[in-house]
Amino acid sequence: MSVALIAIAAALAVGIPALATAWAQSRIGPAAAASLAEKPELSTTAIILLAIPETMVILGFVVAVLIMLRGAA
Amino acid sequence: MIVPMARVRILGTRASLPNVIRALQDTGVVHLVPQPAIRELTAFRLPALESRRRRQLVRILEDSEAALAGLGDSNGRIPRSAAPDCVRWARLAGRARRQLARLDCRAQTLEEERALLARYHGVFEILERLLRAREATAAATAFHVVLRADQTDAVPRLRTALGELIGEAFETVTERLPGGETVMLLLVPAAAAERVERLLADTRVEEVSAPRGYGASPVEAGPRMRERERAIPGELEAIRRERAELGRRCRGELTRARAALRDQVAQLDTLSLAGVTPHAFVLEGWVPEAAEHRLVRAIEAAFGRDVVVETLAREDWRGEEAPVVLHNPRLFRPFELLTRMLPLPRYGTIDPTPYVGVFFPMFFGLILGDAGYGVLLALLALVLHRRSRPGTTLRAAAEIGGPCALFAIVFGVLFGEYFGDLGRAWLHLEPVWFDRGEAIVPFLGLTLALGTVHILLGLILGVVTSARRHPRHAAGRGLSAAMLILIVAAILAALDLVPRGLLTPAVILLFVAFPVLVILEGVVAPVELLTTIGHVLSYARIMALGTASVMLAVVANRMAGALGSAVIGVLFALLFHLVNFGLALFTPTIHALRLHYVEFFGTFYSPGGVRYQPLGHWTPPVAHPA
Repeated sequence: MSVALIAIAAALAVGIPALATAWAQSRIGPAAAASLAEKPELSTTAIILLAIPETMVILGFVVAVLIMLRGAA
Repeated sequence: MIVPMARVRILGTRASLPNVIRALQDTGVVHLVPQPAIRELTAFRLPALESRRRRQLVRILEDSEAALAGLGDSNGRIPRSAAPDCVRWARLAGRARRQLARLDCRAQTLEEERALLARYHGVFEILERLLRAREATAAATAFHVVLRADQTDAVPRLRTALGELIGEAFETVTERLPGGETVMLLLVPAAAAERVERLLADTRVEEVSAPRGYGASPVEAGPRMRERERAIPGELEAIRRERAELGRRCRGELTRARAALRDQVAQLDTLSLAGVTPHAFVLEGWVPEAAEHRLVRAIEAAFGRDVVVETLAREDWRGEEAPVVLHNPRLFRPFELLTRMLPLPRYGTIDPTPYVGVFFPMFFGLILGDAGYGVLLALLALVLHRRSRPGTTLRAAAEIGGPCALFAIVFGVLFGEYFGDLGRAWLHLEPVWFDRGEAIVPFLGLTLALGTVHILLGLILGVVTSARRHPRHAAGRGLSAAMLILIVAAILAALDLVPRGLLTPAVILLFVAFPVLVILEGVVAPVELLTTIGHVLSYARIMALGTASVMLAVVANRMAGALGSAVIGVLFALLFHLVNFGLALFTPTIHALRLHYVEFFGTFYSPGGVRYQPLGHWTPPVAHPA
């Protein structure tokens, strides 16, 4: 397989989840900030909720690395 | 661990109830709860006289707290008053509060005056100088005008308009202020003053007049304003001294008064928790088992046989109602800070603090994984430790930072990372185990293995937690744990990492276990199993973030040689390392916490515990309690 296709596949594998994560966090962030203004004790929950969508981009990164390693082999 | 509690019932003569509550406050170990509804008992109602007394105490307390808020709290231990003197405290607190309000009002007025004088200072100095130089006669009227920085073109327009209005019989002198505004003195014959005033109003040029009380003309106002400017700091200093003197006189007594008043209000509020008959009372509450004997001895010593403390049998109370106190070995105690960020665990379940104390620094160290950054973190933790007081959040954070730094150093040595690849390039320090930057798949395997162990531990703790009350659920958890092991074994066998012969038995056992799991846990069982597998995969973030961390450090080192100038390169490299260190503190903390709160706690944690709040003497809250 050509190097270009491998690179594109890896980029898509990490790029699309990154966009999805960004979209999810853009919705969670303002809601969390609004909640914290009224109930500061929710800070832990807010942090957890913000960190949850990061799983997508992290797993995307893992898949991208595996694609690149498989391509190199 | 969660401290074992005992439920106690205190019975005595109704007359002794206030004294018993005072004695309970002195022991400071009983978490009192409302009396359960029993037909023979009625809830204690505060008599009208006592209700009035409570309102008065609250009013004095408000005055004391307001006065102390203005004077500043006294530090250190609060000496208890031998004899509460509410009348004197009411007088003292009211007087101190009023005096403070008067001083605050006076200081605010002076500050406002000072600000006003500062605003007019430059303008009036110029006007005074211009007027003195012109020696205006009684036949001339002076207009004092200030033009904004964007109105400078108004001067020629005004001169033209004045020429048309009164001919050549006027004089203007202008001078610019440092802020860009223009001060203008306009002298016109007294007979033309009225027409000129209208013209100024029409052209929207603003006249400036001296603040009230300083005189009408700048010649008169200037010296007075300067005199006031010199006098105000002295007056403010006198107010500060008066305030300090008031604090010195009243702070100690008000601090004692506040503590005593809070105690008395708490005693009166506690009365409503008692159940009473015409001649007796009953109080119920929770006490740590270790403190039970102390309570019994204290009550016996104070009341003899008039008051009885009995311990309820374990069958007579429900664990969910008991308050929760976390008590862990010294090594794990700082990690209670992380556990307390969530609602407390319910009584009778498991306190996860010791597990957090082991796995949180491990995950943190695995993500950071750099001996250089680890040493920096250790130094930071040391400084924080020295600058913080025991029992504060800052101290707990410093004590958590220590183990995290230790794990970061250990993993840094294992991975051969000292500020990225600097140790390898300069000191030829090779990895003891493997290079995270190169061996990505082994690192991924390590993190997933760690995740499997962590989640399995959580499932086992879940079995232990629910074994007694929900045996079916506990069996489901146990089966989930077994199936997770079988899935891992099947994958390892398929990849030839363990004997391939294990694959078939593992798959057969999975097929057998699956319907049993559905029977035990219902139709959601497959979803929960998939969630558990997803939780294990989530530990891949340790690899992803760890690899990103090492790459950032390597990039920082490359900057030193990539920017042409060695000095600029080194500066950029240091800056990048600093940014990376900041990220290295934040990112591992958030993700290690998330792995605990979401993945690990999700398998066994039962939140909803009641905080243990014993009736005791009031103490001022620590700035940042741990």
